[in-house]
Parts: sequence; structure tokens; C-alpha cells
Amino acid sequence: MIHSLFLVNSSGDIFLEKHWKSVVSRSVCDYFFEAQERASEPENVPPVIPTPHHYLISVLRHRIYFVAVIQSEVPPLFVIEFLHRVVDTFQDYFGVCTEAAIKDNVVVVYELLEEMLDNGFPLATESNILKELIKPPTILRTVVNTITGSTNVGEQLPTGQLSVVPWRRTGVKYTNNEAYFDVVEEIDAIIDKSGSTITAEIQGVIDACVKLTGMPDLTLSFMNPRLLDDVSFHPCVRFKRWEAERILSFIPPDGNFRLLSYHVSSQNLVAIPVYVKHNITFREGSSQGRFELTLGPKQTMGKGVEAVLVNSQLPRGVLNTNLNPSQGTYTFDPVTKLLTWDVGKINPQKLPSLKGSMSLQAGASKPDENPTINIQFKIQQSALSGLKVNRLDMYGEKYKPFKGIKYMTKAGKFQVRT
Amino acid sequence: MPYLGGEETVRELRRALSNPHIQTDHLRYRNTIHRVIRLMSQGVDVSGLFSEMVKACATGDIVQKKLVYVFLCSYASVNPELSLLVINTLRKDCSDPNPMVRSLALRNMCNLRLPGLCEYVEQPLTAGLKDKAACVRRVAVLGWAKIHALLPNTEIDAAVVNELYGLLRDPDPVVMVNCLRALEEILEEEGGVAINKPIAHHLLNRLKECDVWGQSEVLSVLQRYRPRSEDELFDILSLLDPALLSHHVPIMAATLRLFLSLCSMLPAVCVSALERARGPLLAAAGSSSRELRYAALCHIQLLLRSEPGLMGEHYKRFYCGYAEPPYIKQSKIQVLVELVNDDNVAVVLDELKGYCTDVNTETSQAAINAIGSIGRSYDDRCLGILTGLLELKQEHITSAVLQTLRDLVWVSPQYGDAVCSALEKWEDQLQDTQGRGALLWLLGVYGDRLSGAPYILEDFIDGVRSEVSAEVKTELLTATLRVFLSRPAETQDMMGRLLQHCIEEELDMCVRDQALLYYRLLHCGIEDVRRVLQCGRRSDLSLGPLIGRPPEPISQWASIFNTLEPLMLGASSLNMLSFPCTRVWFLKTLCLFVVIFQAYVMCPVPRCSPESLQVALQLVNIQTLAFTAPNKLPWKISILFLSRNQKMFGQKCILRIKINQQPEHPHCCKTNTHILITPC
Repeated sequence: MIHSLFLVNSSGDIFLEKHWKSVVSRSVCDYFFEAQERASEPENVPPVIPTPHHYLISVLRHRIYFVAVIQSEVPPLFVIEFLHRVVDTFQDYFGVCTEAAIKDNVVVVYELLEEMLDNGFPLATESNILKELIKPPTILRTVVNTITGSTNVGEQLPTGQLSVVPWRRTGVKYTNNEAYFDVVEEIDAIIDKSGSTITAEIQGVIDACVKLTGMPDLTLSFMNPRLLDDVSFHPCVRFKRWEAERILSFIPPDGNFRLLSYHVSSQNLVAIPVYVKHNITFREGSSQGRFELTLGPKQTMGKGVEAVLVNSQLPRGVLNTNLNPSQGTYTFDPVTKLLTWDVGKINPQKLPSLKGSMSLQAGASKPDENPTINIQFKIQQSALSGLKVNRLDMYGEKYKPFKGIKYMTKAGKFQVRT
Repeated sequence: MPYLGGEETVRELRRALSNPHIQTDHLRYRNTIHRVIRLMSQGVDVSGLFSEMVKACATGDIVQKKLVYVFLCSYASVNPELSLLVINTLRKDCSDPNPMVRSLALRNMCNLRLPGLCEYVEQPLTAGLKDKAACVRRVAVLGWAKIHALLPNTEIDAAVVNELYGLLRDPDPVVMVNCLRALEEILEEEGGVAINKPIAHHLLNRLKECDVWGQSEVLSVLQRYRPRSEDELFDILSLLDPALLSHHVPIMAATLRLFLSLCSMLPAVCVSALERARGPLLAAAGSSSRELRYAALCHIQLLLRSEPGLMGEHYKRFYCGYAEPPYIKQSKIQVLVELVNDDNVAVVLDELKGYCTDVNTETSQAAINAIGSIGRSYDDRCLGILTGLLELKQEHITSAVLQTLRDLVWVSPQYGDAVCSALEKWEDQLQDTQGRGALLWLLGVYGDRLSGAPYILEDFIDGVRSEVSAEVKTELLTATLRVFLSRPAETQDMMGRLLQHCIEEELDMCVRDQALLYYRLLHCGIEDVRRVLQCGRRSDLSLGPLIGRPPEPISQWASIFNTLEPLMLGASSLNMLSFPCTRVWFLKTLCLFVVIFQAYVMCPVPRCSPESLQVALQLVNIQTLAFTAPNKLPWKISILFLSRNQKMFGQKCILRIKINQQPEHPHCCKTNTHILITPC
């Protein structure tokens, strides 16, 4: 299935290669480099590149291309998903997935890749199984290992791979039994010039961290399950029960996992939590442009909007900006023309604004297009769609677990056109 | 690969590895090996340390073993003789009480990739199949596939194949899936694993136990199974139904593909499966991974080929984000065009208008093209947008707009007046070859209505010496001749100059031939010229519906769903923009092709015998002049086309059609068919 994997950095060097079936020469990557040269931006490299004898399927994450070499027909979604899993695993192990981190931990990387694929087929990809096979490097463990000579490889076979419930190992024990659920919603929206919504949708997930002894059987019910019409579940959820009663009933995997993901897109349901007032003008024949931007909260159910970050790619003709933020800091990179304004928290009494002038290239005609403004923000303690968990019950075990539910809203791809 | 400065380090490492003090110190020994692996990953040639590393292999420390194995597997092919030494240690490890050690040894024994060592490996592999630890069985099963890949010519023992079939019922799901994978490879020549009813049901029942990767592979193997009865079919379908909603996209796609292949006889079930999978597909199209988004979009384009209404109300989810890479934007634009209907046409056009000024030229051209193709079936607002774009005076936009206008008026001649008024004030210079070709075509066709046409042509004719593109020159010849027909006084002189240049000085044979043809045609008299050249200026309105595709049956694309092909189709349709011959030419010939072969023959060319084709063509006044024997590639045919309605190419013309490859799908005809039309 997957013949070989090459890791390529943004300057076009192969810094790691691993072959599973047979050794494929590095020269196969020349086709990839050609595509990389043609692309103006790193992310413009097409994900599937056909070559005379192979296909190259690549994903770009953390400015590293993970290029898989494929020799026969495969489902492309499968390979893409697998490559993302590889990156997630690296990130999980090393904290960050950068070229330097991979080079530092090259031995662990080889061990991981060896366990994740055999003969080109995925073998062990679940992070809790992998972590039993190969312990992640930590500073403490490295120190301890050098002193005691112990290793970062589990000497025992991972237990529980043969349990009746494949996603949960048997004989789990915790002193503090706890189950936490995070409801995280990301809002993707495009707002037009006049402030009306062109598209808005919410991608939500419920991530869980369950540390419970034994084989607990959980049920989770919602106040308003009708909101969830477009849902997909972790395989542990009993689908029939959900269809019949709209209750989530499941034996949870051990540790962190994504219980479900959902999607809310009917426009009237999506409340836009912030508004932007803007006035960006370029005058014909003048080398000055005006820039005014004010942010304000709207429909946030009384919760504060935090960690607001605004960025915008200004037109090529803009030489420099002279702006004055009422709060936070702003930077403008004259080379990439990227304007970034770190606003912080929005105070509804005193709305943050950024005002001033832009200097344009003298003599050039006025830019055809006004810039698009991207906004990032967070709202704690609130799920924008209004989804609320009603109760969580546990059956099958005797102890009383500690339960917690947290809500959070984040901006996904939130754009305002001006 | 040689690496300067590596030699000294390698020598030092060799000393360290053979130093008895270090060898006895567990920790230092391992750290030295660590360094070797590190150097290896940096591209230093450390193959010289092979014999030292072989010795390091005999240890109880699992980490050290793993590291040494990584080294040995990379350099075994360089040192086949020394590798023989490793086999002994490995075989000893295969009987170690620790299952981890056993599986590790077995896996690496197969990974040495030395055909000469296979005989030593077979015995431990056979033992491995019966091992009591699942992890050893997993490795052993795949080991047979590796052996098969190493020795492709030798038959794998039938007993082993039987054993593997038996292991499909292993309690461990990974062993089961690995068996499937191994058998697929070993039995590739026989068409893979034989799936009979008991095996299929066994796999279906255990589907839930497998991990996500295993599930998607089992699903793809199951495609070869055909249920015996309708009851069985529906049992299978209801078992698979929840997987259509899986949040794991690969599983959803594999399930959908299985659904489509199982229900190929039940179109209604297919449609409802598509509807059920719509949610997850849309979610994948909005996923945070670019690559996943692109793959999902390509598959959505496939679905829309048969179910154009499927995503209708979700068109807003295909609006492009600002920072998306061009390949995603372009496929989103293609999807948007499919989703246009009476209710949303205004909104979508507004959105597409925004994309026309995209920084990426290909994206903006794709958007302009999209507006043009919406214009074929919807109102003239498209024309307003397109002519408005001309005022931006951006080279690449202007060129794309001209090409789109040309294609548009050819299909919808009622827009002629609007195009003329847009071109009335034309005074730009264009560099782009295709844009100039389009401009010339428009000038030729509307020369009588555009007051400035002769003057623009004159500029072109004055610059013909420095013109490099043959395509522009042939368009220029035709356009000049056409304008000459309507405005002889203004054009005669420059036409003479142009013909003289093309006949006497031109090096390109095609251009020269065309000039000669026109020159002789002019000798025949003005009426003949008019008949040949002006007949093609107005297209037949009844051809309109042929441009819009009718929905295809799902079975047309079900076989390529969830394969690499849809992603390639996406890429090739981008290349269509730079198709070497002009789009009008292409469109014309394609239409003719479609008219002749679809309307009258009703089946793709190579499948019917040339004789029946001949009879069929005679019915519409087409004489077959010559053709090659059937089933020969390239397949060529020359036909004489006697048209009664005179709308296409005049009264008579010879068509030479050449088909280079057997088309698998009718739409492939476009790319490997060559059609040459000569008016006569």
C-alpha cells in the first residue's frame, strides 16, 4: 500500500526517508520538487502527483511535506488520513512536529514508523497502544534513562489488545476516577461588505478524557439533541440507541478520544458572535489610503470574547501603514504586506479600534480589491450553537466518578470581506 | 552515499564498537549504536560497520536489538555474505520466550530483502503462523507476502495458502486483516482472495472489531462478493448502513463504494446511499486538512455527475475561503457551476465575480470560465459581469474573458450584440496567444458590426513578422478573409499583404497551406468564399442542449469512486484550460462528433463495426471514404460530409478522425481523438 515515506522540508531537502516494501530511489521525489517549484506558495503543491511508475501523495503540516510513494491503486482518502495520523503521532510524542524535533528524535521516529506500518499496511496507530510499545521521550525520562540504563521501550506486550471491546484495554485502574468532556465549537463564516452573513457554519466536536477503572458503561444525554442532525460518532457509541432515543450510550476508550463531531449549518441557527465596522478606502491618484476598523461583541450570551487576533493581507500597492490601536499591539510586515493586530479581550464598554492611514506606491493605480480580514477569537464557557449536556450516568461499576463538562467556542475560518 | 569527513567518524565508531570495555558497559554500547543510526539517517555511509553491528545484535536488550535491526535492514543488500551471519541470531530469537522478541526477529528477517536468504526464513515463518502470541502471527502472515514479493517466480506452497485462509478465522482481528492483505498479494494473478459466502459473512460480522484501516480494507475486498439473493443483499446493506455516517472519511468512502457496487442493479438504493453519505462528505469538504478537502471535493464532483440536485441547497459550503490553495478553489468553482439553479444563480454569480480578481491567474481564469458556462443556460447578467471585467485592463483577465466570450457566443448567438458593444471601444494590446486568437475570431465573426475591426486587424497584420504563434496567424488569416467579405474596401489592401507574407515568407507549413487555400479560394469567386467562410459564423441553436451534460448513470463512475482517478480527473480538467487547439475549434469538432456518433450510432465508435457505421452515416448524407480495420489502434476514418442544412461547415467537407486509444469512458474521447476538417 504505502511503499515509502519521504519527509521534505520547505527548501526542498529530503531529511528523512523510510521504506517498507522495497527501496524506492530518492529520484522519485524529483517530480515532487518540480511541482514544488511551480507552486508560488508552499501550500499550493497539489496533494496527488502522478509519476510514470508511482503516485506521490503528500500532506503539508508544520511546513514539512510528508510524501508517501504509492505503487498501486489505493483509496486516496485512506493514505491522506494515515499521513495525518503519522503527523499527529509525532506531535503527540515530541510536543512539536518540526524538522529539528524529528532530527533530534530520529531514532524514536524510526521506531514509530516501524510499528505504524508493516509491509506498507497500517499496523498500530492508536496512540495509547503505541505509547505502551514505545515510551515518548521526556526530559526527565532521558535523564533517568542515562542514569539507570533503562529504556524507552516497553518490555511487555501491550495488554488489552485482545479484550472484548477492541478500543478499551482490560484491567484499567485509577485511584481518581474522572471523566471530562469538552464541547468545542468552531465557527466558519464569511461576512460581506455590508455586514450580512454570506455563509456561516459551526463545526463542533466533543472531546473526552476518561480515566475510569474497569469497564464502565456511560450514557450522555443532551438538553437539545435536535440540534445535532449531522453527526458522526466514535465507533464505541451505540448507534441504534442514538437513532431511537437520542442518547449517547457507550463503553469509553481509555484516555483521550473524540466522542463525536457534528455540524450546524442552517443559517438562522448560527449567531455571529462579533461584528466588524470597517472603512478601508484608497483614493484614485492619491498616495494615501484610510484604514479604520472597530470590533464589537454581538450575540455572545453575556460571555466575554477573548484572545482576539485580527490579520489581513493588504494589497501589494501598500508600502507602509501608520495606524493607532486603541488597545493591543499591531504589526505590519512591509515585505509580505501582512497586517496583524493582537487585540486581546474585547471590552463592550470601550470597543477596540485600529485607525490611521496607509501609504501607497506613488503613481500606481488604486488596488482593485479591498483586503479580506481574518479574525480569530475564543469564547469560554459557551457553545455557540446552544448545545447543552443534560446528564452523564455511569453503569457497570460501583464507584462514583468525578464528572466535568466544559464548553468553548473558537473562530475557525472567520473572514470579513471589505 | 559518500560523505566527506565521515570516514574518520566511522573509524572511531568501529574502535568504540569493538572495544571490550564499551561492550560490557550496557549503556555506552547502546549509545554508540545510537550514534551510528543517527549518522546513517544523516546520509553518512556507515556500511563499513556491518560486521561490528552483527555482533551487537546478540543482546538481551530490546532497544539495542531494534536499533541494530534498523541498521541491518538498510545495509543488508550491500553485504549479502555477512548477512548470513545475522540469520543465525535471528533464528535463535525466533524461539525466544518473549513474544516481542520473536515478532521483532521474524519481521526483520523478512525485511532484509535478500532473496538468497529466503530458504532460512521459511521454516520460522511456518512456525510463526502457529505461534500462540497474536503479534507473532500478525508478522508471520505478512512475512509470507514479503517472501512472495522477493521471489515472484516461485510458487508459494499451497499448504501455506490454505493455512492463511484458515487464519482468516483467527481470534485476533489484525491477524485476520493481515491475512487478507497477504493473500491479496500472493494470489494477485488469480484475482486476489476468493470471497465465498462463508468468508464474506465472517468478514462482515467481524468488521466492527477491526481498526479503521482494517475496516476500509475489508470493505474494499468485499466488493468482489456478489450476494446470492435479495434478502442477503439487504441484510448486508443494513449491517453496513451505520458506517455510511462514520466520521472517519476513508471508511465512509469505502462503505459508499461497496454500496454502489452491491446495488448496481438498484439505482434507487444507490441514490439514497448517496443522500445518506452527503453529510459526512460535506463535512470532509470543510475539514481542516487541505488534502482531505481536495479529495472530498473531487469525489463530490463525481457524485454530481449523476445527481446534480444532491448538494443544491448546500452551495454556500463551496464558497472559497481567502487563503485556500488554488487547486481547492478551482475544484470548488467547478462544483459551484454544477450547483447553479434558478434560485441561487444571482448569489453564485456575485460570489464568482469576486473570484475573478483572484491573485492566482489560474483561479481567476477558472472563475471567468465558470461565469461563461453559467451564461450558456442562464440570463445575460453573466455577460454584464464579463464585459465589466474587461474594464479592469488586467492582461490575464482580459484574455480569459475574450476566450470565454468566444465560447459563449458560439453556443448562444443571441449575445452577439452585447459582445459587439463591449468590443466597440477596444484599444488594448494583448500578449497572450490564446487571448489574441479569441479576439481575432470575434473580430472575424462580427467584423460587419464593429466599426474598428479593420483597424485592429491592420495592427495585427503590420506586426505579423514578429508574430511567433502559428495559431494566431491562422486565426488572423481567417478573420481577415471574413472581414474582407463584409468590408472589402477597407480590407483588400492589407489582406493582400497578409497573404503575400504568409505564402512567400512564412516558414510554418500549416499557416502557409491555409494561406494558399484561401488564395485559391479567392480565385474561385467571392460567392464560394462566402459559402465556405460565413456559414460557420452562426451556430445551430438546437446544439445548445448537447453542451449541458445529461445526468450520467451512477454505474458510470461507481468503479472509480474512492480511487486515485477522480483526483487525476480534477487535475486534467485544469489542463483543459491550456488545451493546445482553440476551444472553439475543439467545441465545434466535439459537437459534430457528438452529433454524428451519439445521435446516429448511439454507441462509442470502436464498439460497432465500421460497416454498420458506414450504413448509419449514409443515412445522413455522410459518405465514408476510408477507414482502418476494426480493433486497430490508432483507428482512422475519413468521411465526406454532405450537409443539407449548411450550418456547420458548408455544403461539403472532409472529416478525418483519428482515435489513438480505445476510450474507456465516452468522455475520454475528447483527449485522444484527433479530428481534421477540410472544407471542400
